[in-house]
Amino acid sequence: MEVGTLIWLVLFLPVLGFLVQAFFGGRVVRSQGVAGKKLMGTLAVLPIAISFVLGCIITAQLAQQPADARFSIHTLFSWIDILSLSIPFEVRVDPLSMTMVLIITGIGSLIHVYATGYMAEEKDYSRFFTYLNLFIAFMLILVLGNNLLLLFIGWEGVGLCSYLLIGFWYKDLANSRAANKAFIVNRIGDWGLTLGMFIIVALIASNIGKLGLDNVRFLSYDVILSAPVIEIFKANPGWTTAAALLLFVGAMGKSAQFPLYLWLPDAMAGPTPVSALIHAATMVTAGVVLLNRMNILFQLSPVASAVVCGVGAFTALFAALIAFGQTDIKKVLAYSTVSQLGFMFIACGAGAYWAGMFHVTTHAFFKALLFLGSGAVIHAMAHDQDMRNYGNLRKYLKITSATMIIGWLAIAGVSVWTFFGFAGFYSKEAILGAAFANEFASIGGINIGFYSACVGMFVALLTSFYMSRMTFMTFFGQEERWRLIPAGAHHDAQGHDDHSHDHGHTHAHHEAHDHGPDTHGFFYTDEELAAQHVGHDHDDHHHALDAEHEPHEVPPSMWVPLVVLAALSVAGGFLLYTNHMFEHWLYPGGQLAILGEIKAYPEWKTLLVALSTGAALGGIVLGWFFYGKKLPEREGWDLRRWSPFRRAAGQQFGYDKAMVDMSVEGGNQLATFSWKFLDSKGIDAIVNGVAGLAGQIGKLFGWAQTGFVRGYALLMLLGGVGLIGYLALVLFQSNGGPK
Amino acid sequence: METGFGLLSLTIFLPLIGILMLLVWPDDDRRMLRNIALGTTLATFAVSLLVFSRFDGGTYHFQMVELVKWAPALGINYKIGVDGVSIWLLLLTTLLSVLAVWFSTYVEKRVKAYMAFMLLLETTMLGVFVSLDLVLFYAFFEASLIPMFFLINIWGGERRRYAAIKFFLYTFAGSIFMLIGIVVLSQIYKSQFGVPSFDIVQIQSAIANGTFWTGFVHFQAWIFWAFAIAFMVKCPMFPFHTWLPDAHVEAPTAGSVILAGVLLKMGTYGFLRFCLPFFPDVIQQQVPIIITLAVIGIIYGAVVAAVQPDVKKLVAYSSVAHMGFVMIGIFSLSHTGIMGGAMQQLNHGISTGALFLMIGLLYERRHTRMFADFGGLKAQMPIYAAIFLIVMLSSVGLPTTNGFIGEFLAMLGLFQAAAAGAFGLNLGLSIIAGFGVVLAAVYLLIMFMKVFYGPNTNPENQRLKDLKPWEIALCGVFVIFIFWGGLFPNTFLKPMEKSLNATRMMALNAPGQRPSWGDAALDIDERGNLVRNDAGGAVIVSPPNFHFENLSPFKSAEALQTRK
Repeated sequence: MEVGTLIWLVLFLPVLGFLVQAFFGGRVVRSQGVAGKKLMGTLAVLPIAISFVLGCIITAQLAQQPADARFSIHTLFSWIDILSLSIPFEVRVDPLSMTMVLIITGIGSLIHVYATGYMAEEKDYSRFFTYLNLFIAFMLILVLGNNLLLLFIGWEGVGLCSYLLIGFWYKDLANSRAANKAFIVNRIGDWGLTLGMFIIVALIASNIGKLGLDNVRFLSYDVILSAPVIEIFKANPGWTTAAALLLFVGAMGKSAQFPLYLWLPDAMAGPTPVSALIHAATMVTAGVVLLNRMNILFQLSPVASAVVCGVGAFTALFAALIAFGQTDIKKVLAYSTVSQLGFMFIACGAGAYWAGMFHVTTHAFFKALLFLGSGAVIHAMAHDQDMRNYGNLRKYLKITSATMIIGWLAIAGVSVWTFFGFAGFYSKEAILGAAFANEFASIGGINIGFYSACVGMFVALLTSFYMSRMTFMTFFGQEERWRLIPAGAHHDAQGHDDHSHDHGHTHAHHEAHDHGPDTHGFFYTDEELAAQHVGHDHDDHHHALDAEHEPHEVPPSMWVPLVVLAALSVAGGFLLYTNHMFEHWLYPGGQLAILGEIKAYPEWKTLLVALSTGAALGGIVLGWFFYGKKLPEREGWDLRRWSPFRRAAGQQFGYDKAMVDMSVEGGNQLATFSWKFLDSKGIDAIVNGVAGLAGQIGKLFGWAQTGFVRGYALLMLLGGVGLIGYLALVLFQSNGGPK
Repeated sequence: METGFGLLSLTIFLPLIGILMLLVWPDDDRRMLRNIALGTTLATFAVSLLVFSRFDGGTYHFQMVELVKWAPALGINYKIGVDGVSIWLLLLTTLLSVLAVWFSTYVEKRVKAYMAFMLLLETTMLGVFVSLDLVLFYAFFEASLIPMFFLINIWGGERRRYAAIKFFLYTFAGSIFMLIGIVVLSQIYKSQFGVPSFDIVQIQSAIANGTFWTGFVHFQAWIFWAFAIAFMVKCPMFPFHTWLPDAHVEAPTAGSVILAGVLLKMGTYGFLRFCLPFFPDVIQQQVPIIITLAVIGIIYGAVVAAVQPDVKKLVAYSSVAHMGFVMIGIFSLSHTGIMGGAMQQLNHGISTGALFLMIGLLYERRHTRMFADFGGLKAQMPIYAAIFLIVMLSSVGLPTTNGFIGEFLAMLGLFQAAAAGAFGLNLGLSIIAGFGVVLAAVYLLIMFMKVFYGPNTNPENQRLKDLKPWEIALCGVFVIFIFWGGLFPNTFLKPMEKSLNATRMMALNAPGQRPSWGDAALDIDERGNLVRNDAGGAVIVSPPNFHFENLSPFKSAEALQTRK
């Protein structure tokens, strides 16, 4: 089949899957029970898996093309088409979009498979897959769209799915608040992205005559990134920097960079497969995809590049420090994700856009693995997420621990010199090498890129250290700490990945209604309510973690994806890096370098390798030293014994609380003031005062009793007629009256 | 030009025939009274579809014009017609009337009078959108207050009397100014041409060729504001919005749907129909004032909405914010912005109408709208929750829903105008307006969370059944339009484009280069140029500053070359 047909299949299969789940899922699961779940689970995985296969076929075809012919645009229909702006619904098949398609559908299918196991006991089984399939569809639009507005559809669409999935267990309001926070913080980023788009449109549109453009597709990549338009950008450096920075604000929101990272840790309230797919492997990397797409714009602006680098480096460090204060296994991984995303932005700022995408890819392998692994642990530990209650789990969870250890080595970037390394080693090396070597991410002569790389190197050590902390606390040591939990320490901590088993309507009180008879049939009768209880009572088999708990390995549907991802984490980096395969695939003709050649390494490459190898191993040694045997006293259940630094780190150094307090409480006060004082006592009082005055005048004349409305109306009519008469008089006098 | 009554008149007055049938039907046969009303609105909708099928989006001129002499000595006639600006509002009105009457199955109190007022309301609203005579327009504009006043006053909530009077006086007071403006316009016409005229087409034609305002230029700004005040109250724009929350909270559900869906659009329609074409010499100076008020409204409405304890009041304040987007689009005086503003009018009618309807469905069951009484309804009423979610997202302006298209184009239009420094606009206004989109997410998500998420603890709510099939169908109509508008906005944009382009040129072009409603030989070609058909399509003028090329602060590539 033609690429033009296949690519639409890739895009619409997940949409189809979504529709099937949305319209039939609930009914099938309710009526068929476990068999229904099996069926709907299969129907959820299939579209994504087929999309992946089709994506592979397209990619293979694309790879056979000569390097300069590796892109094509396919238009389906005209979405917005007015004289001043045209936005077709068009997709772009090129190495960047197909790389992301493979990650999304590939990792996506694995996580879908995993989720069929993980969510097996969930009542709202098909609702979960409805959202998950919809997410894949929006994510594909985001990466495949050939214009910024289609990217924006995907951008906000994945945000919606993220919102729905974070709040999946909505009966706990904390989850809903986390979902709201994610959506709203992302909208702040989207505000920037929208304004960035506006600048681009305004810039191109106002030069349309000089450009000789014969169309108004101002937001299509082939227009924005065409040579004459690049000249326009060059002629307006200030606007270019503004546009680049505003697009980056969007990226900061979606990719959780400081100061907009706030939502991602809270997003762990969602089910763990969601954390793996959306909040680690795919959605949060959208910012990096955007920067790759628009890399020319950023290359044109050293200031924007420097900001990208600096924000990336600061975020990487900040999140890594916070990770040391976390006891919730998913929170550690969440901050680690924020930190790793920072690395990707260091790469982009330094000009090595391909390295950013390379890290997106390897990170997708090992972070999906780590999240799914943590899900398996949580599953085995009765939904307890506190690492202080773990320990020695390698004895019970053989496959999970083996694969997670691989993930840990991959994120730490462990390598045997340069002969062979785990996936994370190669991408981190590429990022730091480029950041050390290049100079154009600078503001006022200060090479921000270089300093970012120094920070990055330190964060590499921290990463290895805190990931070792997590691994040792969970899988190693002799203590099986869930057997040692002191009374009162239970359920003190942060979120719990807690399934909501439906308890039916057991709380319904059978009180008499005071609204009279239910003539419209709005309410269930007592008999109907009673019938519902019978059907739901067996659902309640949830038990808590206690001293007698025996962890069991997870079912194959959950560990098979772990094994596949582990294999990718071992070999993926090596295979993609050898002979510059990934770099040459992504930018076949070499990345278009605006400001001179982009160097891959500084002259002191050997030292760099030594440093990063040392950082990876050093972190592991430190981790073993502190956490290898048992949980240190100063990090135990009793928070009062923690060091001040760790306590502060545990609370994000107060940043989150400050921001939330300011916006929620401050906003609340401002809004209440506006409503109660400005609106009611201010504007409205003036209006009522005027009306009252009119009433008083009416009373004066004694006809107000005839009824408010008539009185007022008459008054106004009289006033109006008077005014009209006066105006008419003026009018005629000034023109000598009617002719 | 057609004379006599035709299809358009049938559309307007069909509801009156329904009223006659209602009047002769026995009071106690509620079921049949409802069916008569529903049948009438359906028939009206069908006729309006017929109007649409005959509508030609290829011209900016008024179509299906009907003229009946009324008081020729005074220059007052019964003259109606549709163009691209009004055609969708006509359809929106007939559609929302069907849906509002359909919902009104739940009305038990004085059904005959209720339905009669609903139908009367429909006639007056339709009349507003098709009137081509200022007196006729004013008559319909004011007449629409009466049925709405009674709907609030009789079928409203606890403070219905206060709200009804406030609604009536507020909007009535605003339109008094317009009446003055109308009279002055006709008198100016009289002093220029010897006979008075209230004919919109005649007056605009005289404005287009520059003869109307000669010697009266100093009146323009005053009359502009006389009209603008009436429409600002109607929209409503900050600071004339305080009647809206009260009216909405007290109005019965169907009243709220119509109020938000159609009545507010009379304001923005008025701006498009009169304020842009009639005052070309002064309009540009007024732009910053209107845009500033609109932007304040966007932020203020959103902020105040966020803390409302009553769901309906929250949506009412959100209307203030959403209508602000319509206004920034229209008054950006850019093609993109006007298209966006006009689109946003329709979207607001659909999404906010739908929100009020959804709230009404819940209110019928629980007789409360306070957030404190709800929570956790998602598990109890999953279909209701799903539809509410879609409607809420359309109001948030999520791409792929209709709400996004209008907002995006309106904001883009304002940005382009402001970046170019046109009309004295400041870029800061555009940036702040963008923040309104963030705030929209804040209050709407809070609303959704408070009603649907969390535990379902209220015992009253634990007995609630999900929506009935006919209610799902009713809401489904809105959902269809939400996605239709979001995925295929061209359906709505294309028929409006020529008329809106003409409206923009009426406001911005020099005399003699303005499109004229009276000159049938003038038209707009496919590229947006004003052309003269009797001269073989010769281009008179291209749209001015279509992309703000001339005002642009942006340097071209040549500038770079010369600098080097």
